[in-house]
Amino acid sequence: MGLATCGIAAGGDKVFAALKNALSQRNLQVLLTRTGCIGYCREEPLVSIHLPGKSLIILHRVAETDAEKIVEAVAAETVPQDLALCRVEEWDPIVGEKLVFGTGFEDIPVYDEIPYFAPQRKIVLRDAGLINPEEIEEYIAVGGYSALHKALTAMTPEEVIEEVIASGLRGRGGGGFPTGMKWNFTKQEKSLQKYIICNADEGDPGAYMNRNEMESDPHMILEGMLIGAYAIGAREGVIYVRAEYPLAIQRLTRAIAQARDYGLIGKNIFGTDFSFELTIAEGAGAFVCGEETALIASIEGKTGRPRPRPPFPAQKGLWGMPTNINNVETWTNIPVIIQKGGAWFSRIGGEKNSGTKVFSLVGEVQRVGLVEVPLGTPIQTLVYDVGNGGIEGRKIKAVQTGGPSGGCIPASLFDTPMDYEHLTAVGSIMGSGGVVVMDELTSMVDTARFFIGFTNEESCGKCVPCREGLKHMLMLLDKILVGKATESDMATLEELSGVIKKTSLCGLGQTAPNPVLTTLKYFRNEYDAYLKGVP
Amino acid sequence: MIQVIIDGKTCAAEEGEILLAVARRNGIDIPSFCYEEALAPYGACRMCLVEVVKGGREGITTSCTLQVTEGLDVLTESPEIIRLRKALLELYLAQAPRSESIRALAARYGVTRTRFTKKTVRDDPLQNRCILCGLCVRVCRDVMGVGAINYIGRGQFTEINTPFFEENETCQGCGACAEVCPTGAIAIEDIAPNRIMKSWSGTKVPLKTCQSCGRYFAPSPFVDNTLEKLDTALKAALQDLCPDCKRKEMTRQAILLSTGTPLPMK
Ligand SMILES: Cc1cc2nc3c(=O)[nH]c(=O)nc-3n(C[C@H](O)[C@H](O)[C@H](O)COP(=O)(O)O)c2cc1C
Ligand code: SF4
Ligand code: FES
Repeated sequence: MGLATCGIAAGGDKVFAALKNALSQRNLQVLLTRTGCIGYCREEPLVSIHLPGKSLIILHRVAETDAEKIVEAVAAETVPQDLALCRVEEWDPIVGEKLVFGTGFEDIPVYDEIPYFAPQRKIVLRDAGLINPEEIEEYIAVGGYSALHKALTAMTPEEVIEEVIASGLRGRGGGGFPTGMKWNFTKQEKSLQKYIICNADEGDPGAYMNRNEMESDPHMILEGMLIGAYAIGAREGVIYVRAEYPLAIQRLTRAIAQARDYGLIGKNIFGTDFSFELTIAEGAGAFVCGEETALIASIEGKTGRPRPRPPFPAQKGLWGMPTNINNVETWTNIPVIIQKGGAWFSRIGGEKNSGTKVFSLVGEVQRVGLVEVPLGTPIQTLVYDVGNGGIEGRKIKAVQTGGPSGGCIPASLFDTPMDYEHLTAVGSIMGSGGVVVMDELTSMVDTARFFIGFTNEESCGKCVPCREGLKHMLMLLDKILVGKATESDMATLEELSGVIKKTSLCGLGQTAPNPVLTTLKYFRNEYDAYLKGVP
Repeated sequence: MIQVIIDGKTCAAEEGEILLAVARRNGIDIPSFCYEEALAPYGACRMCLVEVVKGGREGITTSCTLQVTEGLDVLTESPEIIRLRKALLELYLAQAPRSESIRALAARYGVTRTRFTKKTVRDDPLQNRCILCGLCVRVCRDVMGVGAINYIGRGQFTEINTPFFEENETCQGCGACAEVCPTGAIAIEDIAPNRIMKSWSGTKVPLKTCQSCGRYFAPSPFVDNTLEKLDTALKAALQDLCPDCKRKEMTRQAILLSTGTPLPMK
């Protein structure tokens, strides 16, 4: 039963209880277990049934009242066909051996034919929705920790870094900095103490891929961090998770405890002289704490405000020591790269953009959920093939990528490949992978105002362009929205946007004006309409 | 020693020195609000932006955080820098409309009015002059080792004051905050027998009376703490100063004692 936060929100825990109850009244050999989310959030609650030797059947939109029916079917060694979404005959967990579920139920469509799944390629979400995230043995069963074993027993730290460099993996937290190079910076620092950090602060409105990664498969993050620590020469790590993610914190805590019991965290891992300790730090709820220097200050118990770089965390990070910080999703790719090789990984995705990216597809689109596609997949694949276009046949107008400070990309540019360079070229950013779809009923000026409202609210207040500038941008947008603005206000708004981008201290201010700049560029007519009074 | 080029002028510097300091030593005045040599670089006011043209990460960056390396070539007043600085000054004029020093610097760049809505808070403890450069907070905490004031709130609602806007017991009344404030926002008044930190929630600090003439001259906790650390020669030197100068000199000495770097003479 898919029980990540999204599944629970859709009523999954009630279904789970009903299934448990229905099972307890019969004497069946059935294991009822929790899994994470396979990503099709709109179709939740999702229940998967595996009868020995048969295909895995994924049931969708399951209600509490379906529990009897499901259990009855299972007792008769079949599945309730009317609830079936698709079947999975075999699955590639990438790092481990192929999982062969079986065959049968031929009239249920196969997973790969479902339009929502067809364009997807699951590397990060390789186990999500298929294993119980609360049991380390299920992770080990799908090849988990084999990459760590390989790294520790058959590779030098240098070889690990070389493999990561060869993979071309770039940071998934927004900046897209090459991960292997970053590791090298920290590795080369001379210091007795070094740290690694997993950035799980995920504060973008509408973005929840990191949450799902932690809730559905926490051990892959631990394994990635262990391999990274070995390569970099760090003996301690911290996972910084926002406090609004209680289930993720609970599952990570459990995962760490289990890994410790299994000797995978602690002293002399796999009998080598590599030792590693890992703790969790809870975030304090500010968006800006996701910025690496603010995050480090926050762990140290200080106010979460960014500081100028250099010095970069690699030189002076947590407690003043060299520190390597990566996003959750960045870490999850590491076991794959070690097990399959950097060259294998680099062949997936686009040029200079290897691998996949998990996007959270939300907004005015029919099928919402978490979508993992190779980098470089065009926006239209996401919006139309996976998302099936607008709700009730409405026309899609734009998407906003990259979180609150991403730009709005008009439908005419939906052939743009979703990779770091192309998104930047059209005035947006990759960010952490949020994709908000807007249809013809959405006012783009209103949208821009919403996002400036958000970043203005979340500005830490340290540097003047972001603190004062966003405030004035908001005032100007409000003036436009009540139909009182003039051409010269528009010019001021545009100029101010550019100044904030160029002069702000941290990434928040440096990107915050993007929604305004892109809507000014692509939807100028909507602004102009307001100049003549409220349309 | 290495060589760097600032506005076309070759300047000698130690590797790793802060560019802003190197520039000033060579008579090139880069404006700044949040920088003091005695404190760690902070990078908040953005006035000190320069353009790196060669020898480093090219582009616009703050000179108060830029450590020089051999061959670094920067412009402190390129057209782009001037354009950005003017825009920032407009933001400052709106934020601190009552500050003369802001107005003066803006005028130097030909900025005499702002397009942005001016902030005017009634009964603002910082007299509509604060620009949140953080110097007062940092000098109090990092130099004086006191930490009587801090930021309150976030974003555009950030203020600086004592915790919970209450009179603060740790404040020594030294006045280092007012000394470093670039906009003259902090109000302090001596009303015998106390020094009143008007900007800091009216915190009262008892004044010490002069042993010889009986006049009040400086806050007691501050005098006691500082005198403890001063050597006798300096103690003697302080005797000759009038109360005003003595106050300033004591602040400077205290800063010198704890960091080894004096604040520049104001
Ligand atoms: C305002 C702001 C918020 C950020 N929030 C996050 C976040 O929630 N998660 C994250 O991984 N990175 C975030 N970042 C990026 C981090 O500073 C940092 O670049 C990243 O964690 C590095 O990891 P990566 O190399 O794996 O991408 C944020 C940056 C800024 C400027
Ligand atoms: S850009 Fe904004 S969030 Fe970043 S330091 Fe400046 S005020 Fe703070
Ligand atoms: S002096 Fe450099 S940012 Fe303030």
